[in-house]
Amino acid sequence: MSAAKDPVIRVAGLAKDYRVFDKPEGLLASIRGIFHRSSRVVEALRGVDLEVGRGEFVALLGPNGAGKTTFLKLLSGIITPSRGTAHVLGHVPWERADDFRRRFALVMGQRNQLWWDLPAAESFRLHQEIYRIDPARFARTRDELVDMLGVRKLILQPVRELSLGERMKLELVAALLHEPEVLFLDEPTIGLDVVAQHTIHEFLRHVQRERQVTVILTTHYMKDVAALCERVVVITHGDILYDGSLVEIVDRFTTHKIVTLDLDDAAAARHLERLGYPCEIRGPQAILRIDRARIADVLPEVLRGGGVRDVSVEDVPLEEIVAELFRSAPARPTAASPATAEATP
Amino acid sequence: MSRYLSIFGTFARACLVRDMTFRANFVLECVTSLGWMAMNLAFYLLVFQFTPEIGAGTGWSKAPFFAFVATGMIINAIVQTLFMPSAEELTELVRTGGLDAVLVRPLDAQFLLSMHRVDFSSLANGLVGLGLLGWSLARLDQPPPPVAWAIYPVLILCGVAILYSLIIMLAAATILMGRNQSLYDFWFYITNFSRYPAEIYAGPWGGPLRAACTFVIPILLVVNVPARVIAQPLTGQSWWPVAGTIGAALASLVISRLVFQSALAKYRSASS
Repeated sequence: MSAAKDPVIRVAGLAKDYRVFDKPEGLLASIRGIFHRSSRVVEALRGVDLEVGRGEFVALLGPNGAGKTTFLKLLSGIITPSRGTAHVLGHVPWERADDFRRRFALVMGQRNQLWWDLPAAESFRLHQEIYRIDPARFARTRDELVDMLGVRKLILQPVRELSLGERMKLELVAALLHEPEVLFLDEPTIGLDVVAQHTIHEFLRHVQRERQVTVILTTHYMKDVAALCERVVVITHGDILYDGSLVEIVDRFTTHKIVTLDLDDAAAARHLERLGYPCEIRGPQAILRIDRARIADVLPEVLRGGGVRDVSVEDVPLEEIVAELFRSAPARPTAASPATAEATP
Repeated sequence: MSRYLSIFGTFARACLVRDMTFRANFVLECVTSLGWMAMNLAFYLLVFQFTPEIGAGTGWSKAPFFAFVATGMIINAIVQTLFMPSAEELTELVRTGGLDAVLVRPLDAQFLLSMHRVDFSSLANGLVGLGLLGWSLARLDQPPPPVAWAIYPVLILCGVAILYSLIIMLAAATILMGRNQSLYDFWFYITNFSRYPAEIYAGPWGGPLRAACTFVIPILLVVNVPARVIAQPLTGQSWWPVAGTIGAALASLVISRLVFQSALAKYRSASS
C-alpha cells in the first residue's frame, strides 16, 4: 500500500543513524572514558519507503524506540537523514524552506509550544505574525477552531493554569491557525482522559474531512487509530513491518474471534468446558476464542446447552493484534565500533 | 525586514505582558541589577581615591574612565535586554527538544532563538549608563567633537554585534553538544576582559592576552574603541581601531552565522 494517489508525502530509502557513546559504570571506567570512548551506531530508521496521498489519515504505530518520532522529525525537517530521500508537498523537508514550513504543522503531545506564562490568545497572535495570516482570516479560523473544541473561555487564561487536556486542545488550535495542508501529530492524546480524547477525535475527524488535511498520527492508543485512521503503518526497529488498511490488519493477523457469553449458572459453564473449545471462565462470564471460519458452526453448538443470558462476538482487540505484531518483528543488530567519532548526521 | 521587526515587536509585547504579570519579580530584578551596578561604581570611585589615572599616560583619568564604564553599561544593557534571556533558555531548549518547535516555524531560526525573549529589567542599567555618560562627558577637559558623536552610536552597535556573535557561537556549541550549562559562565568569563581599558593588558602575559582578545576574539574592541572615541581626543591613530571594529563586527556576524547554520544541520534533537 505504499503507492498513493496524488502523493503529498513521498519517501524512499529514508534512514537515520545515530552514533551513541557508551557510558561505562564506575569511577575508573569513567576516567578512562575521557580518553577513549566506545561507541556504536544505532539505526533509528533503516531505509523506509512510503507514499501518502492528499487527505489521507495515516496511523504510525510501533513500540517505544521503533523510529516513529524520528520519522516525523525527518518529514518535518527538524533533523537530516543519513541516507535516502523525502519530499513533502514537493519540498525536501530538511532544506527548511519557508514556503514548506508555512504549509505543515507539527504537534507533539509531550511538548508545549504555547507561551507558558501567557494566555493562549497571545501565542495565537504571535502565530498570526509568524505565518503572515490575514487578520480577517485569522479571526475567522481562530473562532471556528476554539468553538469546535469548546475552549473559547480558556484562551484568555494563562496556559500554566490549564489542565493537560485543555492545553492540548489549544495546542491543536495554534497548529491549525495557518490552515496547514499536512499535519504531523506525535501522541496528541497522551495522558488525556476519555472525554478529552473523544473531543479531540471528533475535532480531528472534522478538520481532516472539511479541509482535506493529510495527517500522520503516531500513538500508543488504539482508540485513536480506530476512531481516526483507515490506513495503518507499523514500524518496528526502524523498518516498516506493515502498511495497509485497519480492516486488513485485523483480517491478516488474527485467525479467531472473541465470543463472550453471560452465563446463568455453573451448569452452563460445565457444558462449555465439555465442548473443548479454548475457554476462560471469569465469574458469570465465559470467553471463548473461536476460529473465524467456524463461528457459524460453533455458536449454535454453544447455545444449545442453554443457560446463556447474552452473547457477543468481537474481533480480537486491536491492542492485542498490534502487540503481537510488535513481538513478532525480528530484533535488529547494532554495529559496534570502538571509534571516538562525532555523531553521524 | 519589516516583518521581522513586527514579530520582534510581538515578542517584546508578550514579554512585557509577562513581566507585568509578575510585577514583584520584575521590580526585584531591576533592583538587583541596579544594586550590582552601584557596587561596581562605588568600587571604581574607591580606586580613584588612590590614583588620578588608570595607568600613567593612558588618558583614563576619572571622567574619561567613567565614560568608559558608561559605554560598557550601555552595550551590556542592550545585549542583556535583547539577547541574553533567549541565550540562557537555549540550553534547556536543546536538552528538552524544545528547539524542534523553533525549527518548524517559517522564520529564521537564529532570529527566533536569539530574540524571542526580552528582559526589560535590564533596560534600567542602560538608562543609568546614559546618565553616567552625560555626567562624565560634561566633566571632560574637551567636549567630544561632532564626528565622535556621529561615530559613537555606530561603534556601540558594532560592540553589540560582536557580543551577539559570541552568543550565537556559544549557542551553536550548545546545539552540537546537546548540553552546555556552562554557556552563561563562559560568557561571563570572556566578556570580563572587555570591562577594562586595553592598556592594562601589558607585559609578558598581558601583551599576548591583549592580542588574542583583539584579533582572535575581538572582545577588547567592544567597549574600548567607542569609549576612546567619545572620551579621548581623536587623532590620526584613532581611525585604525574604528575601521578594525567595524570590520570585526561584520566578520563576527558572518562567521557566527555560518557556524550556527552548520550546527543546526547537525542537530540531533532530543528523544520524546
